[in-house]
Amino acid sequence: MSSSRSRTIRNVGAGVAFLMPNLLGFLVFTLVPLVFSMVLAFSNWDLKLHNQYKNNSIHFIGLDNFIRLINEPNFWKFLGNTLYLMLLMPFAIAASLIAAILLSKDLRGGSRRMWATLLLTAIMVGSLLLLMATGQGRSGMVIMMASLVASIFIGGALGGQTVYRTLFYIPNFTAGVATMLLWKHLFNPQSGPINSVLRGPLVSLTDVVRQSPSSLIQSGLWVSAGLIALGAWFGLRRLRKAWSDGDYGSNAVILSAVFLILPAVLAIFWSPVPLVGWVTLAATVCVTLWQLVIAIRGRDFHGRPWDGVGSSLMTATSLMSLQLVVLGLGIACYHLPAMAAVSDGLTPPNWLTDYDWAKPAMMLMGFWGAIGSNNMLLYLAALTNVPQELYEAADIDGATRLGKFWNITWPQLAPTTFFIVVMGVISGLQGGFEQARVMTQGGPAGSTTTLSYMIYSQGFEIGRLGYASAVSWMLFAMVLVITLFNWKFGNKYVND
Amino acid sequence: MSTTNTIQPGQSTEPASIPPDAAEMEKLLNRPPADRRRSRALKNYFSVSLLHLVLGAISLVMVLPFVWMLLTSIKPLGEVGSTNWIPSTVDTVQKAGVPVPRNYVDVFDYNNPDINHRGIQFARFYWNSIFVAAWATFLQVMTSAMAAYSFARLKWPGRDRMFLLYLSTMMLPGLVMMIPNFQIMISMGLVDTFTGLIVPAAFSAFGTFLMRQFMLSIPQSLDEAAEIDGAGKWRLFWDIILPLSRPGLITLTIFTFMGNYNSFFWPLVMLRSEAKYTLPIGLLFFDSSQGQATHLLMAAVTMSVVPMIVLFVLLQKYLVKGIQLGAVKG
Repeated sequence: MSSSRSRTIRNVGAGVAFLMPNLLGFLVFTLVPLVFSMVLAFSNWDLKLHNQYKNNSIHFIGLDNFIRLINEPNFWKFLGNTLYLMLLMPFAIAASLIAAILLSKDLRGGSRRMWATLLLTAIMVGSLLLLMATGQGRSGMVIMMASLVASIFIGGALGGQTVYRTLFYIPNFTAGVATMLLWKHLFNPQSGPINSVLRGPLVSLTDVVRQSPSSLIQSGLWVSAGLIALGAWFGLRRLRKAWSDGDYGSNAVILSAVFLILPAVLAIFWSPVPLVGWVTLAATVCVTLWQLVIAIRGRDFHGRPWDGVGSSLMTATSLMSLQLVVLGLGIACYHLPAMAAVSDGLTPPNWLTDYDWAKPAMMLMGFWGAIGSNNMLLYLAALTNVPQELYEAADIDGATRLGKFWNITWPQLAPTTFFIVVMGVISGLQGGFEQARVMTQGGPAGSTTTLSYMIYSQGFEIGRLGYASAVSWMLFAMVLVITLFNWKFGNKYVND
Repeated sequence: MSTTNTIQPGQSTEPASIPPDAAEMEKLLNRPPADRRRSRALKNYFSVSLLHLVLGAISLVMVLPFVWMLLTSIKPLGEVGSTNWIPSTVDTVQKAGVPVPRNYVDVFDYNNPDINHRGIQFARFYWNSIFVAAWATFLQVMTSAMAAYSFARLKWPGRDRMFLLYLSTMMLPGLVMMIPNFQIMISMGLVDTFTGLIVPAAFSAFGTFLMRQFMLSIPQSLDEAAEIDGAGKWRLFWDIILPLSRPGLITLTIFTFMGNYNSFFWPLVMLRSEAKYTLPIGLLFFDSSQGQATHLLMAAVTMSVVPMIVLFVLLQKYLVKGIQLGAVKG
């Protein structure tokens, strides 16, 4: 009895002793700051008012910081910027999923002979390009590109998945100030390679636009309106089916439907021809009502209100991003003839120094890094865990590739996707500081300032510690909502 | 990739397989006729070639920015904006009998007032980064491994609740803690010191979590055997558990080192004197003070990116494993 008791005490002692170094750090650098930050958020601590020259008292001001924050238009603008940059997420996740699926295919193709053939093909492509190059002026460039392509192919044929995976992952691994500086110079409007590549095609595009009737090109806006309504129809139909099957609850469906209708509403504000926006909205509303009628005429809904909310929101927001991109393209089509009519014709954008292009430029860089990200590795691991029997059974049923993807792969990957999305939203809300600080300093005119950059500039540059803490707690509240959402629905979703 | 699953405790990855002879039988029965087999092989050839083509194209997109970076880093300034990526001439300097591109020498040569009038101490930044990252990594791996040992192998009341508390802090946005932490650093007089960079980085909930995952997979019987032999808790930790969790240690070491090597926010607010700048801060400083010298900047960027790429290619096995394991339960 006494020996077992002393053993327990010894165990507790050892347990605490081993934990102690980490626990101390945890207390000093996590728990204390957390409480401290909470207090700060309700104080008026500002280094401009409280320093060695001016000694105004620091006192509690209640919710003043938060009220000021909510009334500050910049806060909403920066929140908008943060959300804008997060529109990249569905595309990034889709890209990393596609990359993972491609990588998980058997690249060897079975026979050794085919392997050799592939290698020969790669070498032939390379040498053909080499021969072509010898006759031309800028031979060095072509030779370089050809040998680069050939070496990638040879590496891929020899190393298979590992080589491609390594190449895909490198941008993510090296991500940081160095790569951002690299991209800053790639985006340079005058000396950057991106614009020097774009210039040629844009000249020919200018000619095409000038020669064709402008109404034809401007009708792209109408096409985009149709596509937006079509997207809404597709999404709503999916929602309706899952709703009747009892997979999604009614609240989940309503919430997701809002996201699907949102682009049509935005079209009214953004479209240069208001009529297009109204027609889009009308079409979307018709589609919604139509699906609603079908749903109500069908059987009763046995799902609980919040069933499948994660999955339905994921689908809806992805479709929404797609719709928004289509809308943007449509608006671009409308403005294209006017832009081409200028004496310079179409010119490549100024990227980081242009108010409208700075965010897309950052998203482009983000996309480059996101294809081969950790998400791809997670998907790769998840793909190996999908039971092979499911595919074999589907093969016997004569399922198509696409059918197999939607009915087997996608549902099997759902837990991984959910994890990736939740993590992505949490880090997306906090993101954007580094690239803004390195590439644009939050500019031009605050177009790339995200919430995290706002915290930095308010807290560390201006010195409004209380106010910056209030911003960080707003951010925290948003992250908390997502985390709670994850706890409440994540497990259920994963277990389904 | 299949090796990743072996670490996860209590998870069988072996699919229920048919006995080999039965599988063989099935293969024979399902064998397509000869002509169909050939067309299938041909289709396979095309699809595999197509697959390589797509994967190769994506790889090319991934690599091209780095190719531009490398080529620009050896160019003279006048050719930076040229559509031809290849430099017409590469200016080299003999260093210890080896020709080195001039730009790389210039980046390091901070005594040369013509190029580097503000005296950027690139070699210094390099050293600072490695110094800080190495110390932070060593400390973090040690504290994490110890805490993980306590969470995974020792039994004490309240342990699991404590671990849950650790886990939940992983969800906290780090930004919330930045301002108070900075005030703590001011009050401790650690602003603009390496200690101020290293100490907050020495503790991590993620590291503890990752190490715990690894240590859970080590059989419990080892502890009992060691205890019977009269080994204390520390000896058990140091001589048995730690060596057995080597893959985890390596993974965490790489993660932490890379994280600290790339760390930006904290050094940016903490460091004041140029002599203490780490590489990311130094690069930023380089860019803002001589933004026109793209060729030199690219040499500097290359110098900071290439070690990472080499490290990654060498150690990717551990990294991939670690990332996949770290996400098993977020």
